[in-house]
Amino acid sequence: MTIAKLSRAVLMGGMAWGMIATAAFAADITFWTWRQEDKAAYEKFFSAFTAENPDINVKFEALPDTTYPTMVSTGLAAGKAADVIHTHAYGWLDQFVRSGYLEPLDEATVPSLANFTPDAIEALSFREDHKVYSVPFATMTLGLFINEDVFEKAGLTPPTTWEEFKTVGDALKSKGIIPLANGMGTSWFNEMFVSVFAGPFLGPEFAAELSTGATTYKDPRYAAALSKLLELRDYMPPNFAGVDYETAGQLFLSGRAAMLAGGSFDIANYRKLNPSLKMDFIAPPAASAGDVPHASKFYDGGYAVNAASPNKEAALRLVNWMGTTEFGNMFSNTLGNISPINGVEITDPILHHVAELNKTAVPHLNVVYFRFGKPTGSEILQANITKMMSGDMTPEQVGVEMTNGIATWFAPFQGK
Amino acid sequence: MKADWRSKPFHLSRRSLWIAFLLAPAAVIMMTFVVWPLVSALQLSFFRFEGLKPGDFVWFENFYKVLFQSPFRDATYNAFWHNIVVFFALMVLENGVALLIAYALLKELPGHRLHQVIVFLPVVLSAVIVGFLWKLLLHPLFGVVNAALGLFGIMGPAWLGSEATALGSIVFANVWHWIGFPALVLLAGMQRISREVLEAARLDGAGDWTILTRIVWPLIAPSVTIVTVLTFIGSFNWFELPLLMADMEGSPGRSTDVLALYFYRTAFGSVTSGIQDFGQGSALAVLMFLFVGAVTFIALKFLRSRELEI
Amino acid sequence: MANIASTTTTHQATGPVSYKGEGFKNGAIQALLWLNAVIMLYPLFVMVMSSFKSNAEIFSSPLALPQSLNFANLEKVWSETNFLQYLGNSLLVTSASVALILVVGTMAAYAIARYEFRFSGLWLMFFLSGMTVPLKLAIIPLFLQLNALNLLNTYAGLILVYTAMGIPSAVFIMTGFLRALPKELEESARIDGANEFVIMWQVMLPLARPAMVIVAIQNAVPIWNDFFFPLILITSDSLKTLPQGLTVFMGEFVTDWGVLFTGLTLAALPITLLYILLSRQFIAGLTQGAIK
Repeated sequence: MTIAKLSRAVLMGGMAWGMIATAAFAADITFWTWRQEDKAAYEKFFSAFTAENPDINVKFEALPDTTYPTMVSTGLAAGKAADVIHTHAYGWLDQFVRSGYLEPLDEATVPSLANFTPDAIEALSFREDHKVYSVPFATMTLGLFINEDVFEKAGLTPPTTWEEFKTVGDALKSKGIIPLANGMGTSWFNEMFVSVFAGPFLGPEFAAELSTGATTYKDPRYAAALSKLLELRDYMPPNFAGVDYETAGQLFLSGRAAMLAGGSFDIANYRKLNPSLKMDFIAPPAASAGDVPHASKFYDGGYAVNAASPNKEAALRLVNWMGTTEFGNMFSNTLGNISPINGVEITDPILHHVAELNKTAVPHLNVVYFRFGKPTGSEILQANITKMMSGDMTPEQVGVEMTNGIATWFAPFQGK
Repeated sequence: MKADWRSKPFHLSRRSLWIAFLLAPAAVIMMTFVVWPLVSALQLSFFRFEGLKPGDFVWFENFYKVLFQSPFRDATYNAFWHNIVVFFALMVLENGVALLIAYALLKELPGHRLHQVIVFLPVVLSAVIVGFLWKLLLHPLFGVVNAALGLFGIMGPAWLGSEATALGSIVFANVWHWIGFPALVLLAGMQRISREVLEAARLDGAGDWTILTRIVWPLIAPSVTIVTVLTFIGSFNWFELPLLMADMEGSPGRSTDVLALYFYRTAFGSVTSGIQDFGQGSALAVLMFLFVGAVTFIALKFLRSRELEI
Repeated sequence: MANIASTTTTHQATGPVSYKGEGFKNGAIQALLWLNAVIMLYPLFVMVMSSFKSNAEIFSSPLALPQSLNFANLEKVWSETNFLQYLGNSLLVTSASVALILVVGTMAAYAIARYEFRFSGLWLMFFLSGMTVPLKLAIIPLFLQLNALNLLNTYAGLILVYTAMGIPSAVFIMTGFLRALPKELEESARIDGANEFVIMWQVMLPLARPAMVIVAIQNAVPIWNDFFFPLILITSDSLKTLPQGLTVFMGEFVTDWGVLFTGLTLAALPITLLYILLSRQFIAGLTQGAIK
């Protein structure tokens, strides 16, 4: 299309002009994110950055999360994307790196990368060249919310093992309280629900073997862990199949339910919705007493630099700053999420708890390992887990479906 | 006018310029925003996408994947089957009931105008309003529907949360939303039947059922054709209601998955589970387009010939 | 219509036996129609009623009437969302699209209907073929196209897409109507020395007003209600249309049902009021394409 070419030429001309203009004056760079709700917090962070780097101004732009990947990819393709881009980790990052749109980072250009564990760096690296493309920003921990008021009133203590969970659950039920608020009405959360309760039964060894293909989801250990979820049905709300994650949150916050499988990302939100509630975030029930607690964990994403940015130097300085303890402290204590930066001090008691859980957490399996090709492990699990919970599918069948689906793009699973 | 342009070539060119001026804006807009995108969709479907950029030209690989390679194939047929179910369910529940409503309105009993306005009211509302409203009404714990059932001591099902009832619930919302449309289209068809024919039948002692099935039904064949074809196209483009009432994944357990959702999810990725693939997405779009186009064409031929026979 | 109704009455009066039966049957039919009316209206009644309730009230007694006329939800929607902005955007996009459809659609239809020229039949076919195309399926290249033209996330992009979708049916309806207009008017104006533009603008188009109303309503309602194209083509909150804004809103206030019902009520209000005022034109306009 000639019109397209023409407009592209005009656009490029405009950009070239922009480059000249910005070279002479202070650099104005743009930051894109899907976190619309964090606008105020980020604007505060960026003014702190500008106070230290008066030659760089950062503009915050939030895009809707439903179309975020589309907007970022077309923005990058058209040369109109922001200089610094908020990315998810793992397979999500993979597709942008593969197209050559993001700038590889190293400790020469971004010294603060030294502040991260190898685990965090790996989550934001491209698997084929082992280079890191995004400065990690948060870990997400999946575990069990406890409504302490409800437990206190019922004269019970939160469970630590599976057997305790069932005894406590029965006791709560006899008092007319829903033990576990969750339903199966929100498919993205169902996957997290599986990780919360199956995680302690699978443990880190299974995750390690699975990631290399030494074992698959057809492993009897996986089926055994999934079959534990079936026992939970007695403790979930009536009509749990249709209870979505928001309703579950309401049941939990209003005290109609005592526990809620959830993510650390909701701590701040729940606190805002019910400031007077006494709650805690604990590890999901362990297989047997004395086991190491195993919450599940994944890296949510990071801050990447647009490879075509005309202000690459300024953008690199910003992402470097976003890897420092100074930023990490601000981030964790303002947004109530765990920054993976070493040396960050967490003041909030519940977040402190989460940080402790992180030390022995297991990976959130599909997100960490199986979102690199189509169909992703996530979409297969989400499609089948409701069938299993309604009794239309066995745990073994779910494992077979997942293994066969992932095998279409993950060679180590092929023929197993 | 014909003689005019043959005899006056100068006049012709001014006149053609005038005609070109009249046609050009519409033609340019159509070319840019309809024809070109459609042609491009076909083109994109032949490429393998490396991340987000078109990579190798791979002929029919994307088509092969979505039609024949597990697990994409399974998702395709699952969604396709749901489109078929939706079509037949709407034919019976929406158009069938609409036919009865139309016949009742044809009698022009007192208040029939009011009833026309009422039955058509939801048609003017956005699918967004209808979808969210019914999602709230059908909520398993706090919804009005289950509260009403509770008055009779019935514990209502999870509706949108259960595989057994989810698709049916969305179909019901669709019927509520759209039933006024076929009802009034069929009514318009019935009003074109000459009154003498109906009166004559009535005088011969024919009951309403006989009149409806033997006289009205054959004579409104053109309206039935249109309604059927529109329902078919609508069923295969079904997107808004399942997206808003269930989600992009066709939850629970793909039981509400339809082709348009599957296409959207494949092409644009879903935030929580999938990655983007414009190539496979375009292949799905091309297949849907061909299927709907072919069936509509054949159906129109077939139904039109039926009309002629009658 | 009136004389038809009267013949029916006469017929009923002359046949006393069937009169009794008819009366009973008509009563049954009336009852069924009223049942249908309740099914159509009750959900909307619940929606409006719940917008006056607090969250606790909705959850504890969903079927009861609100305890009082409580406008707290309305205030919240008013002060915490961009409802007015969304409403304004929808008005702008819908009216601009409909105006553009009418202008370019009528121009093209006028050329096809009132002049004989080579391939005029093919032109008509070209426009009409657009009626069968589900443009939703071409959303990927359409997206890339708008991106290349710098029209993503602009009013203009959305308006042009809606216009492209509306042209086919506009050309169809206008061509049919304009063709039926008598030639004599046009000829006599031409003899009086009027040029082609004057003939079109001052002689022919004023006669085509009823068809234009049909075209306007037929396009305005689906455009006003559309959610799919803004979902993909518009990302700035300040440009969102009402249905799209409503989805944002429903996601934000997901735990506050009183506010949700208020939002739904407000979103449904403008078009419902307009429909009640102009129901005859709405019904005619929206069923037009399927009746001919």
